[in-house]
Amino acid sequence: MLLRIENLWVRYGGITALSGISIDVPQGETVLLVGANGAGKSSTINAIIGLVPAADGRIVFDGTDLTRIPCERRARMGIGYSPEGRRVFPTMSVTDNVLAGAFGLGRRRQMEALDWLRSVFPLLVERATQPAGQLSGGQQQIVALSRAMASFPKLLLMDEPFLGLAPVWIRQISDAITQLRARGTTVLMTEQMARPALKLATRGYVMRGGEVRRSGPVDVIRDVALADEYL
Amino acid sequence: MAQFLQAAIIGLSLGAQYALLALGFTLIFGILGVVNFAHGGFYMLGGYVAYSCVALLGVPYPLAVLIAVAATAALGWVFELFLLERLVDDHLATLMLTLGLYLILSNGLLQTFGPLAMEFRFPVSGAIRLGPVYVPQENLIVLAICLAAIVALWVVLYRTDLGRGLRALADDRAVAMAQGLRPKLLFPMAFALATGLAGLTGALVTPILALSPGVGDPVLATSFLTVILGGLGSLQGAALAAFAVGLVEAFCSVYFGGSIGALILFVLVLLLLVFRPTGLLGRTVRGA
Repeated sequence: MLLRIENLWVRYGGITALSGISIDVPQGETVLLVGANGAGKSSTINAIIGLVPAADGRIVFDGTDLTRIPCERRARMGIGYSPEGRRVFPTMSVTDNVLAGAFGLGRRRQMEALDWLRSVFPLLVERATQPAGQLSGGQQQIVALSRAMASFPKLLLMDEPFLGLAPVWIRQISDAITQLRARGTTVLMTEQMARPALKLATRGYVMRGGEVRRSGPVDVIRDVALADEYL
Repeated sequence: MAQFLQAAIIGLSLGAQYALLALGFTLIFGILGVVNFAHGGFYMLGGYVAYSCVALLGVPYPLAVLIAVAATAALGWVFELFLLERLVDDHLATLMLTLGLYLILSNGLLQTFGPLAMEFRFPVSGAIRLGPVYVPQENLIVLAICLAAIVALWVVLYRTDLGRGLRALADDRAVAMAQGLRPKLLFPMAFALATGLAGLTGALVTPILALSPGVGDPVLATSFLTVILGGLGSLQGAALAAFAVGLVEAFCSVYFGGSIGALILFVLVLLLLVFRPTGLLGRTVRGA
């Protein structure tokens, strides 16, 4: 098991966002967290990368409990993070955005990452010197994914990669995720739009009100996840 | 015509000095979100360190300048790492800390060197004839070194891993940390870079202008003015505004004399802020 979350609680002030959830992410799989707004999907991702503290429970990544490790060290342990709303570095060029994801890895590793990502996404070449803040939402999502993958992480966290995107871009981002996975990367993603996300996932967790309601292989939870989408 | 050219060259030389000060000031604000009220203190300290090396230890002036840069950068690094870093997100606390450091620096220098101006001269003097005008050699040397320092800063910020990390932290600190960038490593470096530039400016400029315990005060005011004119957080804006401020000051003092230059500057900035509140190249929004 690459990532094992056990009885995780997250609280913001007096509000409980996660009430003791447990999630397993096996090596090489793509695990999907579905659910409506406020279900606790982003809180789960943020707790794993360390942007919010865990009030209780354990987050074991690659055999190490992360809960006491600061955010900036978790990334360097092999966790890539593509945030909700993309949040590219707006004033920095597309190339600098990607390289910032590989900060401190040395010139050779950085160039290796850049060459690989450019071969997968021609956009990174076409828009190389443009400030990332000027790109469209779909283009920014490609940049955010590339930035997250530039350190060759073992685990890729993606928070709502389809948020606010047109169908044509949802297809492109789906292709992008498929290509990134070809390198053997394990993925944990959240998505409100269950239908396109279910095509990518191997395993899913349906969340509501800070709890896991159903979980299992995609075929088992598909109906619940889709029913939930229209609630 | 000769007068015009002379004012232009003096203005450019002033502008280059202001640019180094304002770039450091805006770098600290943009990356750490801290207003460094001690900026003038580092300028002053740079001057006194260079002076002490030359007058008391007999070190050649160019080496004294390098020592001043190293000393001010080191103090900035230590100050950020051990004091500022703990309270970096608390605006009131950082205001008190940097203001306190400024008071300690200026009063410490007053105690050590006394209230009188130091006998500190630029080692090169005389003027060069450029066509119809005579330009003081020291102004040309300072202009050249300041321009070189601006280019060097640009290379560090836009062509190195360190610069990329610093700009990422300025753009979106939380996401930058989630990508593995360490503020505890990078913030002290950013602060040292900025205070080293202030020290460099002090070591270069105080032998031409003056060196006494009060010379740090106008530095803060000029840096503030320049950074607001250029647009908060914009490096290009700060550099552009610095040259504008230098030229306005030089032309005003040549054609109108006295202190009317400062008045005209503040009126210009006021007008600009009425019609363009973000400054020359400012961004309205931080982050996306």
